[in-house]
Amino acid sequence: MSADLQSLHPLEIKVLRADGSELSAAKLLGKLGLGIGQWNQATSWLLGKGLLEEKERLLRVFYELTELGEAQRTGGTPEERMLRAAEERGAMSLPEIAASAGIESREAGSAFGQLSREGLLALDDRKRVVVAGTTRSKRMETTRALLDRAASGALEEAALSAEELAVIAGISRKRGAGSAAFKIAEREEVVYRLTSEGEAARRQLAEAGSSGEEIGRLTPDLLASGSWRGKSFREYNIAVPPARILVGRRNPYAEFLQWVKDKLVSLGFEEFDGPLVETEFWNGDALFMPQFHAARDIHDVYYVKEPSHAKAIEQPWLDRVAEVHESGGATGSRGWGYRFDRDFTRKLILRSQGTVLSAKQLPKARIPGKYFGIVRCFRYDQVDATHGADFYQTEGIVLGEHVNLRTLLGLLKMFAEEVAGAKEIKYVPGYFPFTEPSIEVHIRHPKLGWFELGGSGIFRPEVTKPLGVDVPVLAWGLGIDRMALMQLGLSDLRELFTGDLEGVRLRRRG
Amino acid sequence: MPKIEVDEQAFYRLAGRAIGEEELEPLLAVAKAELDGREPGLLKIELNDTNRPDLWSTAGLARALRVYLGGAIPSYRFFSRRGAPQETGGRSIVVDAALESIRPYIAAFAVAGRSLDEAGLKDLIQTQEKLCWNFGRKRSSIAMGVYSSARIAWPVRYLAADPDATRFVPLGLDSPLSLRRILRDHPKGREFGHLVERFARFPYLADDGGAALSFPPIINSAGLGAVKAGDRELFVELTGTDLRSLLVAASIVACDLCDQGFTILPVAVRYPYDTELGREIVTPFYFQEPVAAESAYAGRLLGVELTAEEAVRAVGRMGCVAAAEGGRITVTVPEYRNDFLHAVDVVEDIMMARGVDAFPPLSPADFTVGRLSPIESLSRRARDLMVGLGYQEMIFNYLGSRRDYCDRMGLPPDGMVSVANPMSESYELVRSSILPALLASEAVSSRAQYPHLIFEIGKVALLDDSDLTGTVTRDNLALLIADREAGFNEVRAHLAAVFYYLGRECIIERTSDPRFIAGRCAGILLGGRRIGLLGEIHPQVLDNWGIQAPCAAAEIDLGALL
Repeated sequence: MSADLQSLHPLEIKVLRADGSELSAAKLLGKLGLGIGQWNQATSWLLGKGLLEEKERLLRVFYELTELGEAQRTGGTPEERMLRAAEERGAMSLPEIAASAGIESREAGSAFGQLSREGLLALDDRKRVVVAGTTRSKRMETTRALLDRAASGALEEAALSAEELAVIAGISRKRGAGSAAFKIAEREEVVYRLTSEGEAARRQLAEAGSSGEEIGRLTPDLLASGSWRGKSFREYNIAVPPARILVGRRNPYAEFLQWVKDKLVSLGFEEFDGPLVETEFWNGDALFMPQFHAARDIHDVYYVKEPSHAKAIEQPWLDRVAEVHESGGATGSRGWGYRFDRDFTRKLILRSQGTVLSAKQLPKARIPGKYFGIVRCFRYDQVDATHGADFYQTEGIVLGEHVNLRTLLGLLKMFAEEVAGAKEIKYVPGYFPFTEPSIEVHIRHPKLGWFELGGSGIFRPEVTKPLGVDVPVLAWGLGIDRMALMQLGLSDLRELFTGDLEGVRLRRRG
Repeated sequence: MPKIEVDEQAFYRLAGRAIGEEELEPLLAVAKAELDGREPGLLKIELNDTNRPDLWSTAGLARALRVYLGGAIPSYRFFSRRGAPQETGGRSIVVDAALESIRPYIAAFAVAGRSLDEAGLKDLIQTQEKLCWNFGRKRSSIAMGVYSSARIAWPVRYLAADPDATRFVPLGLDSPLSLRRILRDHPKGREFGHLVERFARFPYLADDGGAALSFPPIINSAGLGAVKAGDRELFVELTGTDLRSLLVAASIVACDLCDQGFTILPVAVRYPYDTELGREIVTPFYFQEPVAAESAYAGRLLGVELTAEEAVRAVGRMGCVAAAEGGRITVTVPEYRNDFLHAVDVVEDIMMARGVDAFPPLSPADFTVGRLSPIESLSRRARDLMVGLGYQEMIFNYLGSRRDYCDRMGLPPDGMVSVANPMSESYELVRSSILPALLASEAVSSRAQYPHLIFEIGKVALLDDSDLTGTVTRDNLALLIADREAGFNEVRAHLAAVFYYLGRECIIERTSDPRFIAGRCAGILLGGRRIGLLGEIHPQVLDNWGIQAPCAAAEIDLGALL
């Protein structure tokens, strides 16, 4: 069935499929079991769709039972009552019989006149009314039949015989019908016929076996009664576009970060976490970044206004780290050879690198051990498409007796393959203040081309030994934001943190 | 990271031969450098090792490649050593005692033997800029001046001068200004004045005849301090606050000029106070100590077998003279480097010399158990519930403005962590609540189909005197419904569901809060402790945000449910 026909309402189908070429309410209401309201609705829809057109408008005359007519139907016409009284009670004067039959005297005269003309009653010599014959006249029988038929609906003139028309003319009025058994009513009726499209639709509906009697909605009542049995169900137009559903949903960027976390957990890494506010000690000093290092300038980290300093730095880490900066301590290093500033080290800052958590993990880390964190960091950068005021960093460490440069490269290879899906990998010597040697890993991403996936290295002994770790520690960081942007079809880092609900609702991973 | 521009011809001449494009890029890795761009006759190179300022110049970078490619390790004969000063030919600098607490150190040398051409002058200025900006921390620990030395009357005096009485014509101007006026009126004075303005006397360099050389670390004089192409005799000085960094910087410039064919003439610096290298230092001065490394240690870190002899050959390619004895190598640190703090630094040079590709990747063999953090595990359960309740998850930034976090919320900044050096007003507070971000989101989302159900699980920070840092970071869950029908009961029902499935009971008590409508706000209790709030957002707050839809919201300390 064509999509247009699928959209037809069951009422429309019923009308389209009705027999005959002239479709009118008078002919079809009863047959189709429709109310006049349903008929009007169905025909107006079909007209609108061009499946139906008006053939003609007819003036139709109806005879409707009045209140008087209804009373006569149930209690008898005056003639019937007079005749019955005469038969049951014998000879009476005219006023007597009228009273006995409950007929007003003015009606009584005309009733008696009619009955006597038809030879049913007569006056005897004492002027009493007596029965003269028993066979009811044709007129009386017709009157009775008309009254009875009209009980189930108005009588249409066109449906009455000539004889009936002659009889009903005597007992009906157009106006002032209170004194007649029937009221004459005139109505205009529209007769429709199918257009050629309507004819085609009728044929198609017939071929598809669609009658309009199909079940629309399956209801609990239908199920309970079982009346669905043997019936078919109305076909839906499945080409109608679906309504939009507002779904509860993860943020796609958060989903991506979760995916990376799951990947790292699957590779044997344990997640760490920590506070947003850190000290210069953990953010830089513990990582053996000299306090005069360019990256520790006032213009590179955000300082906390109040309180500006931590109350203290945990011991023994403070003394050990101070010593390693000044002279190398017991690490085999000569240190930076400057006077370590114990006030500066207490300065509170907003965490600027995830590596701070790697440092804090060292005193409590297991050996062998693998740790990671995807943590929010803050940089003193002008906010633009590639720099956020705060952003996620993915960082971690691997501790073990036997880790070395080659296992570092193996680790980077694993990340490149598992996290970035890269097949081509390039390792380049890098520089980070807290690792030596340092390696950058570049990958050819299937979509992004060559880019730096991450930085890594082996923590300097000046970092690990003061924090109680004597085995080599691989430290690594991954830049996954470019992959996130690519997956989400974005080009601006700020978009990852947008408040635009519609944008987030529509966003999906590519 | 410093970026330099290198004249291609000069670079190849100094490197010993021309280097093709294909060969150049992998070769630059030896110097942790990357080709950043190319113009006709010009290479743009980015240097990634902030501990190797010797590579930030045409000559320095070329030297690294020349030696790596097999060239001889240069031997510089103009360095003085402990107990072995060079002949100075009467060139000396006398230092004022008052400088000890201002800008105590100076290193210098004279340059002769050929004339400086245009490209050489440009390169010298670039070297000066990179050294003083990146290595010298924007001139605070190192500043450098170059002078035409023919007219200098020795000795040069490094003075602590009266800022108002001392006047000279600075480069770029026509008339004399006092040192103090220079800080105010000269662009360099405005840029670098903060380095000296707190002192009563300012550093000042003049020759024996009283002619001004410069006002370190601000500006040269327009007289002796003006250098042009064609000058045959130069005087180079560096002043600073850290003696060793200063000496290394001076050595770098001297070696670069020597490589280009200039003769370096030492200068004696005489201090009236003690320095770690004595009261008289003839510069350029070599102070570096040899560094030793066990070859077995290097092999362990690199994951390969390595003999001491192999290690010596490797560091040789990196420009280091070394000797093997037993299983140990001793590296004589080149004059222009000061980045050997520990044996690991030798190990890295070995790696660089061999190339990373010489070390096949090896999968880490240790078995470890992967695990999410407890708060991440809990957050995931909460997120799943929120999604099931029909909410869209959001992620927001953690820094914001006082306008958003305080003014619009009707809250004072009490208890919030504020930034002492905000880059702009937009990022001056760390969020103490997620609610402002949820409302900010609603404020820009009125065109999205309603209802709006959004949430975030994320961190907030608050002041908390009980912690050593005076602050505490919490993991919060916040949710917001914006809709014609949004109300207290819906949010309450959602919270109750979340609490139920997290195995807790959501107990609430009536409370009031300026962010919520009075009488439609409740505190959320856990074990008798307040861990959150819920309610209908106050219309004044909605008005502050320009929000037209009624909003109901809640926020809890999710970590408290751990």
